[in-house]
Formats: sequence, structure tokens, C-alpha cells
Amino acid sequence: MDWVSRQFPTRVIALIPIAIAINIVLGYTVQTVLKLPIYLDSIGTILVGVLAGPLAGAFTGAASNIIWQYAPGIGGGTIGPFAITAAVIGLLAGLWGYLGVYKSRPAGGPQLLLAAVVGILVIAVLAWRIYTSPVYGTDPNEGGYGSGVYAVIVGIGVVAAIAVGGFIYLRRDAAGAWVAIAGAITGIVAAIVSAPIAAYAFEGVTGSGADLIVAALRQGGADVYNASLGQGLFSDPIDKTITSFVVFIILASLSPRLIARFPLGDKIVPESA
Amino acid sequence: MTLRLDGATYRYAGSGTPALRDVSLELTPGEVLGIVGANEAGKSTLCLVAAGLAPATIQGRLEGAVLIDELDTRTARPSDLAQRCGILFQNPITQLSGTAPTVWEEVAFGPRNVGLTLSEVVARVEEALATLGIAELAPRDPGRLSGGQAQLVALAGVLALHPAYLLLDEPTSQLDPYGTRLVGDALAALVAGSGAGVLIVEHKTDLLDRVCSQVGLLQDGGLTRVGPAAEVLADPQLEAAGVEPPARVRLARAAAAAGSHLPVEALAG
Amino acid sequence: MAGDGSPLVSIGQSPGSPPTALPAFVARPPEGFYRSLNPTTKLVISFAEAVCAFVVRGWTGPLLVLVVVAACALLARIGRSLVPFALATIPLTISILLVNTFLYPGATDRIVSIGPLAPTWSGLAAAVQATLRVVAFALSVAVLGLTTQPDQLVGDLERRGVGRRAIFVIGSTIRMVPRMAERAAEITEAQRARALDTQGGILARVRGVLPLAGPLVFGALTDVEERTMALEARGFSAPGRRTVLRAFPDGGGERLLRWILFLGTLAIIALSVAGFLEALP
Repeated sequence: MDWVSRQFPTRVIALIPIAIAINIVLGYTVQTVLKLPIYLDSIGTILVGVLAGPLAGAFTGAASNIIWQYAPGIGGGTIGPFAITAAVIGLLAGLWGYLGVYKSRPAGGPQLLLAAVVGILVIAVLAWRIYTSPVYGTDPNEGGYGSGVYAVIVGIGVVAAIAVGGFIYLRRDAAGAWVAIAGAITGIVAAIVSAPIAAYAFEGVTGSGADLIVAALRQGGADVYNASLGQGLFSDPIDKTITSFVVFIILASLSPRLIARFPLGDKIVPESA
Repeated sequence: MTLRLDGATYRYAGSGTPALRDVSLELTPGEVLGIVGANEAGKSTLCLVAAGLAPATIQGRLEGAVLIDELDTRTARPSDLAQRCGILFQNPITQLSGTAPTVWEEVAFGPRNVGLTLSEVVARVEEALATLGIAELAPRDPGRLSGGQAQLVALAGVLALHPAYLLLDEPTSQLDPYGTRLVGDALAALVAGSGAGVLIVEHKTDLLDRVCSQVGLLQDGGLTRVGPAAEVLADPQLEAAGVEPPARVRLARAAAAAGSHLPVEALAG
Repeated sequence: MAGDGSPLVSIGQSPGSPPTALPAFVARPPEGFYRSLNPTTKLVISFAEAVCAFVVRGWTGPLLVLVVVAACALLARIGRSLVPFALATIPLTISILLVNTFLYPGATDRIVSIGPLAPTWSGLAAAVQATLRVVAFALSVAVLGLTTQPDQLVGDLERRGVGRRAIFVIGSTIRMVPRMAERAAEITEAQRARALDTQGGILARVRGVLPLAGPLVFGALTDVEERTMALEARGFSAPGRRTVLRAFPDGGGERLLRWILFLGTLAIIALSVAGFLEALP
């Protein structure tokens, strides 16, 4: 009981509505107004999970999707049933918080190089895993979209690897490697949780730009579930890795004094501060 | 029954240097005490410590004692302190609960939190709105008010808890000139009529000149001087401490420099 | 509810009459047949419809829900207001129809063959079912939204014993989202005016996100500290229950209806898990 109530002090209660509003408004703007092919609708969820714990993160995620579904004007769509995914993302973020993934780790020399290599490797492994995924099925020459998807995977993989490596190197902060790993794992889990929901509730089509990927995978011979899983394994690790870095930058820009007052603050602020 | 700081020294968590050094002061119901000081002199910290929010809510380390009606702020429940000591912050928007569709319900937020009966809640809300002369705002959406109006609604929300002490942390610093006058006038009327002990912390001294009987000067976290308002506000030490004296004092000085005497004391009241 | 001798008990027993002590703009009694149902009843109806639309497969679930939603809309006289909500689902339903009709895995019953395009009957059937499901769900959400004030729903949930922390989060969020959405729209407009075109290439749009997210996110987050202190200073963490302002009429019939819907929803889920609903058309 104490473990539960410790995640919901007044400070976290004041944070959660802001986090949910950021999820909804930023997610809506990025997907609908700016029409970018990523979601960016879990920044608030991960922020709360990392600062307060798994339950607070899960609550923020689930509440975000449900309230989004019912929000007048920008609501509707298919977001509600994915509250389960959002809750899992929040749970994982709480775990990363406990593990101190987001703690700044200033580094230099070989250590920094190692971190940059690890970060790039994570992206490379992810990209390779997607590239060789059996859900993409048959020979790319058979399906009209096949080879296009492969080119996009390789392109995005290269850009992401450069971005992560550069981020770690320029900030001289080894935490970037951990953040990349946490983001990638979160993305894979999110994809695995989302696929059955998308397939069961919406026949795999959710009305976003990601539907093109679903169509391409089906063209290649994937069934409804595997096409959704393949789309998720493509979009989610990218999205959650970006989101994790955004959260990392936000945490690094907020005053350490304020962060330290959150339940998991001591896992984020370096001891020296 | 007093609000008392007894050699209070306070350090923020993770900070070695105290933000407040050995401050002792006493506030009794009915008294109006002003505190002036430059930016970063520790004015906001003094309010947080006096209200018991530091260290209870924001952690950090408090030495000495802070007692609100003999309740030690280090051990008392924040909700018990809230009903004895109200605090008004600078930002009018962040103080509103953000959950109420009308000003009326916004003001009822505090009384409902502490579980008063419904009829008591209704009475307190009506009274707080009437006291500040904003009864006509009652049906409005709190999110669509001007800065000055929002600050008055925030103040009404605090008054509805019937605090014996009221701490005002630069209540007009984030308002436009119109809002400053609106809130200033309401505060002057409130302070004159309420039986509460009021502590006003300000960078601008004109409001203090209007309403305070005693004024203290806060420098680098320490209370260096306390005395009758007219005396302290006219002290040249004020400017050395980075505080601009009230217009009345500047006017008198300018007149004196020009060789004439203005009966500026008459303007005080 | 037992133990509080406040006037709300008598309010609850005389449906429709606002509490005399509250000003009319606070009491805000809902009018009309469906609207004046207890907010929680309408929430339960909406959730039951959503579960039914998704869990009961084939044609039965979605069509049943559509009929119920239409009936509720007629009773509440909001038929016309539902049209925009139905229209809003069009991009999604087009996507569902296209992808499934032309690319339904494993389907071989072609409607026609036009070059590489091979629409199938089973794909079309699955697509129309999914479309009905989505529309039924969207309209069940819309009926709740059009007939229920959010703060009345929150107020009723609080009266039923939902904790002050959860109530604050929900109540604060539903008021904050429209404000922040307004601000986001202003910022994107300003970006557009400064030629950071939201219609332009991907890179231009990515660059557009940063000035958008920056002020929005940081402005809100730096407020958390002040909000926390203001809440504590207003007795937010006091023990016990908060005072209930309004009680909404809640007759025995409604209570019975909620239980039936609740148990019925559980039964449908159980039947579905056990595989008994596969036989429905």
C-alpha cells in the first residue's frame, strides 16, 4: 500500500494532468496537423513513469488514451482501445526510472566512445531485426511495396544510428546509450501489445499514415495480425526511442532541485548536485 | 495565538548555503507586517517557510522553529496548517485548481477539501467573494479571467479557508498596471477590515506604504531591520539594499533637494 | 454515502429540484429525458456499447449497438448533432475499406480482377463489419459527450467514492486539454506565418515540432512546483472525504439498469472468451 501511495504524492498529482494534456495535444498536433509518421503521444507517460514510478506511469498512459477518445474536437478515432499499450509503456518507464536509466552519466575518452558504439549497435540490431523479420515474408520482388519498405528501413536506421551516436558524443553523456536501449525495448513491447488490439478491434487499420505499411506487408503475404505486428515493430521502436530522448532532454533541462522532489528524483539527479 | 519564526534558518535540498538565515519574527492577528528586499534576498523562501510549505512540501532543512498557533510546521499536517495560514503566490493562473467550471466552484475548492458541511461551504464562498467585491465574477469561467481578476479569485479561494494569518508573496508582481491597481485596492480594503495577521512580501514598496504598520528589510536571507513602516521605508539603507523607496518618499526627497518641504505624510493614509 | 447528514441526501431523493443553497449556475440541472439520466448511468451505457461493438463479432454486435445508439440519440433529440461525429470517421473507414477489400490475407473469392487489383468478397465483408464497429463505437462516445457535462460526470463519480486524487486528475485534465490545444493551434499558426510550413517537406515539419513542443512542454512543466504548493496550501491532502456539492438524481430503475448492463457486459466477455459468440452471423 505504501509502495502505491508513495507514487502519488500531491506533486505527482499536479504533474499527471499536464503530462496527459501534453500526450494528447502533442500527439494530436504531430499526427494530424504536422502529419509526421510518428506518434509522439507518450512523452508525458514516460516522464511520469520515470519521475514517479510504474503505477503512476501506467495510470497516466491509460488515462491519456481514454480521455483522448472522449475529448471533444480532437477526440474519437481508434485511440481508446490502445489504452492497454499506453499503460504498459508507463509501467516500463517506471522500471527504467527505478533502474536509473535517465541519470546523466558524464563521460569522456574510451567510455564515451563505448557508449556511442553501444547506442549505434542498438539501432543497428533493431534495424536488422526489422529488416530480416519473417513478417515481411516473401521475396521483395514479388510485392510491389516490398523493396520500398526495405529501402526506408535502411535509410531510417542509418539516420537514427548517426543521431544517437552524435547525441551521445556531443553531450558527452553515456546515459544516451541506456536511453536508446530503454526506448528500443519499450517500442518492441509496445508493438507486441498493440498488434492484437489493432487486429481484433480494427482489422489492423487505424487510420494513420502507418496504414500504408500495413498494406505493404499484406501485399507481401502477411496476415492481419502479422501485418499489424510488422507495422508496430517498424514504427514503435523509432517512436519510443525518439520519445525517450525527448524525455531525457526535458529532464536535463529542468532544475535538478525540482526533479529531486519527485519520488524517483534521486535516481535521475546525479549525487553531486 | 501567533505565527512565530524563532531563529529560522532554511536550506533548500541539495544546497549548502542557507536561503534564510536566523530569521525571528512574530505575526499576531490584526497586525500588518511588510517585508522588503531585493530579488534573491529570500522573500519567497520566507513565505514558504512561514506557511510551513518548506520543509513539509519542498523538503530542505529547517533549523530553529516555525510555529503557527503552537503547531510546529515540521510535524503538523499541511491541511491543518492550511486552515490557519493562507498564502497567495505570484502567478495568478497556477494557483487556481483548474478543475472548476465556475469561479464559485473554484473558491469552494479549499473548503470542500477540508470537508466542511455543504451549507458552511456555501456561506464561506459567498463571504469570500463579497469581501473582495468580486461577487459578479461568480458564474464566470476561471480560465477566462484577466490576471488581476484571477489573482483576486485565488485570494478568495485562500480566504474561504478562514486563515488567521495571510501571507502575500509579491501579489501584484505578475500583473499589468490595471491588475496591480485592482488587486492593490482590494488588498488595502481587506487588510484594513480583516482581523487576520497579514505578512506582505514585496519588491515594490508603494503597497506596503499604504497598508503596513511595521516593515522589515530582508537582505541576503537575514532580517536586518524591523521598525515602523514610515521609518524603514524612508531609510536610505533601503536603496543600498536594492529596494526602491515608495513614490511618496522619492517625491519628498526630490522636493527637499529642490529646497521645499512637502507634507507627504498626509499622502500616506 | 452513509453517515453524512448533509442536505445532499434530500436532494438525491427529490430529482430535478436543485439544492436551494447553491446558486443556479452551480447547480446546473440537466434537462430533457436522456440528458437528465444520472451521469454514471450514461457512462455505463457508453462503455457497455463499446464493449459490445468490439467483442460481439460479425454483424450482430455492431448493428445491435448502432440501433441502441440511434435510439438513445432520438430520445435525447441529438440526432442531427451526431452527423459531424459520423463524418469524422470517414478517413478511417475509407482506409479500413480499401486495405481490407483489396488486401485481405487469405481471401480468394474475387469480386473482379483488374490487373494486379483483386478485391475480394470476404475482404469487403470484414471491412464493412470493421467499419460498422468503428462507427458504432464513435457514436456511442459522441452520445455520451453530447448528453453529459464532464464536470457533472466527475462530480457524480466523486460522490460515489472515487478518491480526490483521481478526481482531481480527471477534472483538471478535461479542462486543461482544450486550453492547451488552443495554445498549440496558435503556435502552429504562428509557425505557419513564419513560413515554417506545416505542409512542407518532412525536415521542415520536424523542425516545426521543436518550437511547438518547447514552450508548450516547458511552460507547463515549470508550473508543477507552484501548482503543488498551491494545492497543499488549499488543504488538498486533508484526510477524509471532500464535501459533495451536487447530488444527481439516481432512481432505483437506473441502478437496476446499470447492474444489468454491467453483468451483461461481463457475460458477453465471458461468452466471447469461451468461444460461444463465433456462431453469430
